[in-house]
Amino acid sequence: MSLATRLETADTLPKLLKYNYEKYGDTKVAMRVKQFGVWQAYTWKDFYDKTKYLSLGLMSLGLKPGDKVSILGDNKPEWYCAELAVQAAGAVATGIFTDCMSNEVRYYVEHSDSKFAIAHDQEQVDKFLTPYKDREGNEHPPLKDELKLLKKVIYWDPKGVWNYDDPILISFNKVVELGKEYEKKHPGAFETSIEKVNSDDVCILSYTSGTTGLPKGAMMKHGTMIQAAESLLTVERWEDDDQYVSFLPPAWIAEQAFGVGGSLLYGIEVNFPEAAETVLENIREIGARVLFWGPRNWESVNRMIQAKIIDTTRLNRLLYHMFLPVGYKYTDIQEARQKPSPLWRFMHFLAHWAVFRDLKDKVGLSNVRMAYTAAAPISPDVIRFFRAIGVNIKQLYGGTEQGLVTLHRGDDVRPETSGPVMPKVQVRLTDDGEVLIKGENLFCGYYKSPEATEEKLRGGWYHSGDFGHITEDGHLVVMDRMADLRELKGGRKFSPQYAEIRLRFSPYIKDVLTIGGGDKDYVTCVVNIDLDNVGRWAEARRIPYTTFTDLSQKPQVIELIKTDIIRINKTLPEWARIKKFANLHREFDADEAELTRTRKIKRNVVEERYKDLIDAMYGGASELSVEAPITYRDGRKGTITTALKINTVG
Amino acid sequence: MATTSGNGAKLRIEDVSLSFGGLQALADINVQVKEGEILAIIGPNGAGKTCLLNCINGFYRPQEGKIIFGDRDVTKLPSHRIAELGIARTFQNIQLYTGLTTLDNLMAARHIHLKPNFLAGAIYFGPEHDKEIRHRRVVEDIIDFLEMEAIRKKIVGSLPYGQRKRVDLGRALALEPKLLLLDEPMAGMNVEEKEDMARFIIDIFEGQGETYPDTPILRDGVKSIVLIEHDMGVVMDIADRIVVLDFGQKIAEGTPKQIMADKAVIKAYLGEEE
Repeated sequence: MSLATRLETADTLPKLLKYNYEKYGDTKVAMRVKQFGVWQAYTWKDFYDKTKYLSLGLMSLGLKPGDKVSILGDNKPEWYCAELAVQAAGAVATGIFTDCMSNEVRYYVEHSDSKFAIAHDQEQVDKFLTPYKDREGNEHPPLKDELKLLKKVIYWDPKGVWNYDDPILISFNKVVELGKEYEKKHPGAFETSIEKVNSDDVCILSYTSGTTGLPKGAMMKHGTMIQAAESLLTVERWEDDDQYVSFLPPAWIAEQAFGVGGSLLYGIEVNFPEAAETVLENIREIGARVLFWGPRNWESVNRMIQAKIIDTTRLNRLLYHMFLPVGYKYTDIQEARQKPSPLWRFMHFLAHWAVFRDLKDKVGLSNVRMAYTAAAPISPDVIRFFRAIGVNIKQLYGGTEQGLVTLHRGDDVRPETSGPVMPKVQVRLTDDGEVLIKGENLFCGYYKSPEATEEKLRGGWYHSGDFGHITEDGHLVVMDRMADLRELKGGRKFSPQYAEIRLRFSPYIKDVLTIGGGDKDYVTCVVNIDLDNVGRWAEARRIPYTTFTDLSQKPQVIELIKTDIIRINKTLPEWARIKKFANLHREFDADEAELTRTRKIKRNVVEERYKDLIDAMYGGASELSVEAPITYRDGRKGTITTALKINTVG
Repeated sequence: MATTSGNGAKLRIEDVSLSFGGLQALADINVQVKEGEILAIIGPNGAGKTCLLNCINGFYRPQEGKIIFGDRDVTKLPSHRIAELGIARTFQNIQLYTGLTTLDNLMAARHIHLKPNFLAGAIYFGPEHDKEIRHRRVVEDIIDFLEMEAIRKKIVGSLPYGQRKRVDLGRALALEPKLLLLDEPMAGMNVEEKEDMARFIIDIFEGQGETYPDTPILRDGVKSIVLIEHDMGVVMDIADRIVVLDFGQKIAEGTPKQIMADKAVIKAYLGEEE
């Protein structure tokens, strides 16, 4: 049955659940959760029944349309059931991240006017029952005493909680039983209630951590959530036998769109991992086909692969290093939108069978058809790596308030961009470069905060606070938060971090500081070469060198670094491109207070220390003689004199 | 529930003496472990704590005295018979099958509850299959309880020390004992691991009720636990009663409060005041 018919009959999430229940009943798995070492399946009937009786149980406890319910828990079927049960009663669900402290939980529950809290386990329940301290260290009584609106705390994992005797507590199963009782007295109450809710009703409150002020609750309508998942179908093909592993926090909009939306609209099977530590293992067992990870997850899997390669046998390592370049070359050809020659197709086939197939299997990515990343800057090289080994990873841009804005289509994946704008969505840039969004996918305002709504939603355009630009062929590149930007002399903004993150991924660049802003009218950078890697590179090319300083100023090395900068420059708008750079004669040093102990550059210290060099770069000199004080490891002080070349980029 | 002898003690150690050649490891020890208590045995190194546990579960045979479990004299029984009667223990220097997985180690501990039948075993399908599932269910509850899901299929030899200790405890639980002996369950652990372990011990003692309705050992708990531990903080927090040994002698016995104030104990631990 096509999606269109599905949407005609069902314009809210609970109606979709009912639709799927009627269509699939007991014949198809809706969710799976690993418990007791076995994947336990929930059919659509199980899903529907559990939701139905929980909803009726909540009604019997006094839940009314328009009420709010907070849900705190890890990814489990109960979370999905709880959300839909609340929505079926015409109420609004709001997810709270499980690592929130009591004082944060208080803010969300209080601000959302929640009448009930549905909590996972002892850890979450204790947040309501034990006295706590706020940020200032003031003692508070337990939340249950502070939150006057809160009627019940419902828990679904009895471990450690079962012998608590607080009257505010009630178990999930008990509420389900209450629901069964309630139905006997009020037959048809659930079905009637579902019918009363329509697509213009708010279904979730999603709190966003604003960079300024307290978190704000973005209100989402049923229609918006459905539209978001629906628009995905216009560019992606999800099937009802696709396996999805749910482990993004359900309180986050991405899990709502991909997990809840994907499940209800496409019927994809949602699998819940056993525990946070078993996620990778569980993904492998399930053979996930649709995967959504944050950049950090991709980075850590990448590192895991690198570590495994170091530990593997020589033959395997040799094969890996032989075929990885084939993978890169093949993706380069695809990226350039050319047709690979039969030779490259053959090489790629070999690479797949010799290395990539097993490699992907080891980390559970064998079956992945579509993989996504979003939410934070990711180095394009991570994307390139996964595409090289044959994982179809795409980047998207979106958020709680703006919905799904851009996504890579088909094979047109470019690691530096977030892809073209989705259908029915409009994107425009302000003169400052702020990304503005308009379309049906926007939220409908902040709960109890019309001023904030007005500030962010002006003339129907959502002001994202993100800084970006659109490439000539329509891909959006989001670079940084507006607040983190610097302004060039002409008033144009640029993001120092954006270039730094990308340059640092080059094996030859250990650290880099981009300079600009204030009275400067273009961008420059100071580079620390990576001695080990550049040294090895030089040796391989028989370029003799004596010291770090000598190596850094070799013309070939300067060319090497220039190539990396030119590559990054291509992803930057004209005015933000790096025009000049110098390879520093020494490394930034934490002992010299140029770096923090966690190796982050102390911008002001470094800019102050290399003021002469920076002035020279903006002054038009081609060389600068520097004498730098240095502290030797044994504590002695000394100076070195050397000529630093100032290099202009193409 | 185990039968208890007249005065409410589940285990009675009566006048037990143990010596190795000229070395007196235990001298006339009298200790009772009651139903419904966590008893801690403390003392300096070489005080005879582990020797006492080894006597209880039949590794050592005391030259004198009796050990009575419920109303049965177990002094002369071999250790596997004692395990079958319901005394399980963990070890200071963990004793597991290092080449097997966590799951297999726990399943192996179920052997005392298996009544193998050669013919049924050969056919496997049918009753044996059901039996396997039943035992696996108990083991899985224990894995869930001790939060060992992530190491279920890991080879025990590859696990870090703290996790092996946890597997060792799981293995003891899988025997479904009526009396649990824990030999330094927290040795070599960091603070967080110690807190977890202390929590587990208390949870085992209290029972978990409806959380594990099908696994009696977790549902009802183990109502008598003997614990050897060096970390005084932990002992004072979780023990109901403490017995102090020094050079094979029992020098004190009482509640944590009494023990903390006991002069003989302070002397044994800190030396004599000048």
